[in-house]
Amino acid sequence: MGVSPVDQAVITRALVAAADEMGVKLIRSAHSPVVREAQDCSAAILDRDGRVVAQAELIPIQLGSITHTFKACLKYHPLDTLKDGDFLINNDPYSGGQHLPDIFLFTPIFYEKTLIGITATVVHHIDLGGGAPGLNPNAADVHEEGITIPPSRYSIEDDWKGGAFERLIRANVRMPDATIGDLNAQFAANAVGGERLKDLHRKFGGKTMVSAMQEMLNYSERRIRAAISNAPDGTFSGKAWLDDDGNGGDPVLIKAEVVINEDQIIVDFKGSSEQVRTNLNSPFASSVSSAIACIKAVLTDPDIPFNEGAERAISVKIPYGSILNPKPPAPVRARLIPSYRVVNAVMGALSQAVPERVIAPGFDTTSVSCLSHRKETGYNIYLEIFGGGFGAGPNNDGCDAVDSMLSNCSNIPIESMESDYPFFRVEDYSLRSTSGGDGKNRGGMGFQRIYKIIKEDVTFATYGDRFKIAPEGIEGGFPGAKAETFVERGGQKIQLESKQHFSLLEGDRLVVRTGGGGGYGDPKERSRDQKKQDLLNNFTGNIS
Amino acid sequence: MSKHEFRVGIEVGGTFTDLVASDGYQMKTAKVPSTPSKPDEGAMNAIRAAELDISQIKELVHGSTVATNAVLERKGGRVCLFVTKGTRDILLLQRHDRRSIYDLHYKKPEPVVARHDTYEIKERISPDGSVVLDIDEDHAREQIKTALRDGRFDSAAICFLHSYSNSRHERLLKELIQQEFPSLPITCSCDVTREFREYERASTTTLAAYVQPVIAGYIKRFSASLAKQGFKGRFSIMQSNGGRMPAEAMAKNAISALFSGPAAGVVGAIRGISSAGYDNLITLDMGGTSTDVSLVSGGESKLAPMTMIDGLPVKTPVIDIATVGAGGGSIAWKDDGGLMRVGPRSAGASPGPACYDRGGIEPTVTDAHLIRGTLQADSFLGGKMNVDVKLAQDTFTELSEFFGLPIEEIADNTIRLAEANIVRAIQQISTERGSDPRDFVLVPFGGAGPLHAARVAEDLSIERVVVPPNAGVLSASGLLLSDHIHYRTRTRRLALKDENIDEVKKLIVGLENETADYLTSLNVEGEIEYDKVLEMRYVGQAFEVSVDIKNESINELTTARLSQLFASAHHQIFEFSKAEGDPVEIISFRIGAKVSPEILFANETRLPSVNTPVSRQVKMIERGKELTADLKERAELTSEAINGPVLIQDTNSTIFVPQEWKVSRDSEDNVILIKEN
Repeated sequence: MGVSPVDQAVITRALVAAADEMGVKLIRSAHSPVVREAQDCSAAILDRDGRVVAQAELIPIQLGSITHTFKACLKYHPLDTLKDGDFLINNDPYSGGQHLPDIFLFTPIFYEKTLIGITATVVHHIDLGGGAPGLNPNAADVHEEGITIPPSRYSIEDDWKGGAFERLIRANVRMPDATIGDLNAQFAANAVGGERLKDLHRKFGGKTMVSAMQEMLNYSERRIRAAISNAPDGTFSGKAWLDDDGNGGDPVLIKAEVVINEDQIIVDFKGSSEQVRTNLNSPFASSVSSAIACIKAVLTDPDIPFNEGAERAISVKIPYGSILNPKPPAPVRARLIPSYRVVNAVMGALSQAVPERVIAPGFDTTSVSCLSHRKETGYNIYLEIFGGGFGAGPNNDGCDAVDSMLSNCSNIPIESMESDYPFFRVEDYSLRSTSGGDGKNRGGMGFQRIYKIIKEDVTFATYGDRFKIAPEGIEGGFPGAKAETFVERGGQKIQLESKQHFSLLEGDRLVVRTGGGGGYGDPKERSRDQKKQDLLNNFTGNIS
Repeated sequence: MSKHEFRVGIEVGGTFTDLVASDGYQMKTAKVPSTPSKPDEGAMNAIRAAELDISQIKELVHGSTVATNAVLERKGGRVCLFVTKGTRDILLLQRHDRRSIYDLHYKKPEPVVARHDTYEIKERISPDGSVVLDIDEDHAREQIKTALRDGRFDSAAICFLHSYSNSRHERLLKELIQQEFPSLPITCSCDVTREFREYERASTTTLAAYVQPVIAGYIKRFSASLAKQGFKGRFSIMQSNGGRMPAEAMAKNAISALFSGPAAGVVGAIRGISSAGYDNLITLDMGGTSTDVSLVSGGESKLAPMTMIDGLPVKTPVIDIATVGAGGGSIAWKDDGGLMRVGPRSAGASPGPACYDRGGIEPTVTDAHLIRGTLQADSFLGGKMNVDVKLAQDTFTELSEFFGLPIEEIADNTIRLAEANIVRAIQQISTERGSDPRDFVLVPFGGAGPLHAARVAEDLSIERVVVPPNAGVLSASGLLLSDHIHYRTRTRRLALKDENIDEVKKLIVGLENETADYLTSLNVEGEIEYDKVLEMRYVGQAFEVSVDIKNESINELTTARLSQLFASAHHQIFEFSKAEGDPVEIISFRIGAKVSPEILFANETRLPSVNTPVSRQVKMIERGKELTADLKERAELTSEAINGPVLIQDTNSTIFVPQEWKVSRDSEDNVILIKEN
């Protein structure tokens, strides 16, 4: 090794800070509200062998996929063929990616003609073509969901900056200025990270940097293994269900078997449902990232830096052709919904091993609210990601109205939305005060958003879950309230499905309600003080 | 100014209350313990300690942490919040994100106004300022009565959607409240910050209303006790933007006091060394628990448009300061992955470092200095304090055994890690904002700053460190040296096009007049200078870049010139700018009117040079090397540079000059450290 403890600590901090700076600059120079306000994006720094060593803690599920998408690029463009000025790009769910809108962009960084690392950013792009603006909930295959960019290498000078590849993208998306603007923000953030990486090499030299980056991976691995060793050995299993397969019908099963063996964990998803015909399939990288994120969250302290080293102690097996490892060209847009049931199933299994560390199931769903307006001059597309209530823990109420665990999108301010999307107005954005599962500790509350539609030619597209099956409470707690979406038209109430495409009329009120989290413990044990506060604030635990 | 008429600056900190007084001929300083429950008592004690006659004080400038502590300890007033119908939960919903992404037990920052103290008003404005729904006055009157009838609230706040674009409804509701409750203080969001993003604006507005009764009460009480003792001078208060305001105006604009403490130090550093010709500096204020760093370019500190307190956003211009948990009391430890760390946890004032023998059992930065020899036991705080090296050594045993390194080396590493943390903070406000630290001198102050400055400078390739005189009470002198400042910001979205340029000029001149008139109305006299900043962005972006137009002639302003200034500001931060002709827009105008104070210490006598050296030699370990260093007093230094390693005892701090550095004293009494090439 040969890196002094003090150099190691300095380099570790500097690399994490550089990744954070990339994230901040990406958000601040981006164009679409889904990036600049909702912050649906991530950034990371990879070592010269392509392993993620430092990342900006933005969106867990995207971060987990950076390794997989980069490895897929290397298959076609090995490290020793990369040149200064190249970039690698990939959004293919069947080559390590998530869903199509998440574009992974990599910039190899050279110092004195030697490759010293790679900077990476991921952004959820507002529209990449496909069968409907922003989101096509009815896609029968991945091709109807938008344009696939397979793992590829291009040159920034020749192919971007007005070049053929940029024109190809421009021609295939509905809001080209936004998409190209957001990709430019990715290029710029990668360049900033590259400058920081070069500064560090200038100061510490290549040899020290290589060893220090190596040690960062070992460090995370050691801490994860130490945490796993503290949990009892054994085989534990858990189950979770999706409402349905997206076409109605029966609940869809996700099953996890978790084997803890000294300092390692093996998760096997055999017995989980076959892949489905709708977009509720979770590509392999999504499923793996979800399982690992859950194990990390349950077993370790929040401050362990998450990088590729953390994954070495955990292996994940998933049958090919199942909903968690589908065969192409199955559509995958709503992959976070089965991914969340992965979290629930794995946490259910871990609750038998370390009951004091888990929380009750929460809303644990990504609900997408997408409104698009077709004007004579083109499209205007609004998209926002909603969470709900977290499950309650042994010592705390669940967090209210917050994005779910695998994601971390901010809301878009009403004042920003109404200025960018003049075809609707937000009439209400409030907590659902009776939605948190009752208990000694109450589940987090979901929220309600009401949109008043004020133009013609507006379409709503959505996917979600927990419309039929609520998250259970644990240790005597009650379940959280379910989600629902409906439209008020005249005096009429039109109930919508969790996955749907729907044409709206001027004057409609669209009501979106997200669900609460499960409670923890018997409500009788809730403290008098808390009950007093609940009364004052008009909060009531859900007991249905 | 006649002799015996004093101008006085009093800075109340967490541990000490510092005073600096000047009559133009002599300077007095005092340092007394703070009295946290009633900070004004500590201030009065400081006046007594300096033996000042209160009736002879012409001007008193005051800085305190009263507002900050009110928020951190949740001891502000009870606030009633009025919002647009449908947005009652604005303070609880926040931004729907988590700041710790893998934390299953995550808790959002706690707002300062409860849900049950929030009331909805039927009204609606659209983004362009047009009225969608007129305010329902009958319903509003009912809500006001229900909310305020029993007198349980100390103040009220109003935050309506899109009020930055049309403030009429906020003002109307304020009038309705005043009709019923004429003495209740009311804060409108449009008066606090006229910028979009409703959660951030509501958070700022409620914080302003929350600290307002505390600040107003404090100023009233302090003014009364000053008056009782015959004070007839002018009383002003420091703001977060580094300027002061007359106390009576501050009582109405409490939010601008939130971060005044660190701001005073920055002003003290700027003004303190400007006479020696320095105007590009990085300030380093290191105390017991943390270090504040800030960047000053061309004699001006940068303002940040937003900051946080206790997790809650505050949208008001504050001096751009980065704070890191590295101070004399910061604790060295190893985490469960075997990585050595220092801070952010601190032994604080109690129990303090282990060597103080007040019950501290964990190794701190101060203990490490004592072991290394960069602090000397017999001359600690001028020899006034007893410390025990053995106690310091014992606390490092565990780390020493774990890493298999001698105690001295672990102590040395502790200092290096603390310094690395400070370096990171400086990079945050320099490199990450597009400034090269090599273009600046480093100005350390506070108890521990001068001890670390040279090595921190070295890691940033800064070649000169300037330690101003009275570095230990620099914040208090910063108060005296600060300008009167009043800022106004107007959000007005205008495309950068030739047909709009007259409108741009008109807005700037209008704001100049408004801010100047306000200062005049407060009886602030003197020549007015203006800060002028336009917040601009490429069309489609959501975050603006500050474009400084202070040095531009407004009459001759052109779109071409503005677009050139914008492109270079954008490139500096983001490492790219778009092609010429890409559409650009102005989002807001920020104008500050400033009046400078009289020159303070013009006739003051300087510290004389001591001719007979009284130095002795001490042994130390520093960056892995055993050294013998000279121990000197500040007065022994002359303009002739001497070689490090040298330890210099100053009134309230120690300056360390490493081996490859030279040290001298300039004609303005600054101690200058220069790196040898």
